[in-house]
Amino acid sequence: MRAMYLANYFFAGCIASSFLGWVASLHPTSFRAIAFLAAAAFVIWGLCWLLDYSVSSLLKISVSSLQAFLLAGLAAIAIGAGVFLCS
Amino acid sequence: MQLKMFVLSGAAVALWLVPLTALDKRIGWHKSMQGVTLCAAIACAVSAGNLAREQAELGEIELIKKRAITADVVDEISTSAYISQQQRQQEAELILTSPSVDVEESRKVLEAIYSSDLQDSASPNEHPDYPIYLEVCKSREAGKSTTWIVENILKMGGRKFSDGKVKLQTLLNQFEEEGK
Repeated sequence: MRAMYLANYFFAGCIASSFLGWVASLHPTSFRAIAFLAAAAFVIWGLCWLLDYSVSSLLKISVSSLQAFLLAGLAAIAIGAGVFLCS
Repeated sequence: MQLKMFVLSGAAVALWLVPLTALDKRIGWHKSMQGVTLCAAIACAVSAGNLAREQAELGEIELIKKRAITADVVDEISTSAYISQQQRQQEAELILTSPSVDVEESRKVLEAIYSSDLQDSASPNEHPDYPIYLEVCKSREAGKSTTWIVENILKMGGRKFSDGKVKLQTLLNQFEEEGK
């Protein structure tokens, strides 16, 4: 059951990523906004990956859990964006 | 609850993939439909995730409950075993410390030991009247009268009563002299 709820949240992340791609395709301004959001998210992701020990102690989770969360988020964004771009 | 969760998960995936592949992005209402279905898909996936999380938490609580119940049962069994062992030990100590509690039983045991000793020593007990003498002794200890002994043990009531009385006296004289 735990795997099921993690999978559902992962799918939610994928769909949210597709939705952001859909929002970006509506207008050039929204595209710029989403691009800025994606860049900011990527910078935050990189910082979290580099400062994993500090961030894990700040969030009170283990380093391995933080790394798993970051990788799952990256995979969800990649899959969602890929599905939207390929459709 | 699980069925609902699976339906929501399936709906989320379907609402995510089907409109993106089947609908044309260049048509206005198709694009709008894609946006609506993506929102609905997010809602379905999050709802399914929440349901699954609740189920997982309930499962963990049930597991903890089972563990607690098992620990309680084990504790109760060990406690009752310990108490019964203590009770038995106390009873045994009581028996050992107060030998006069069951005088009748002790008397019987001693009597049995005594009679077996007598049998082993092969002295007056070889006499055919010796068991009758023992019964007479028991009856006298129990406070029975001479008449009762003659009538019930020697079976010499009625006309034979006077003979029985003589026989009783003879028996007593014979074995008491041998005992000395």
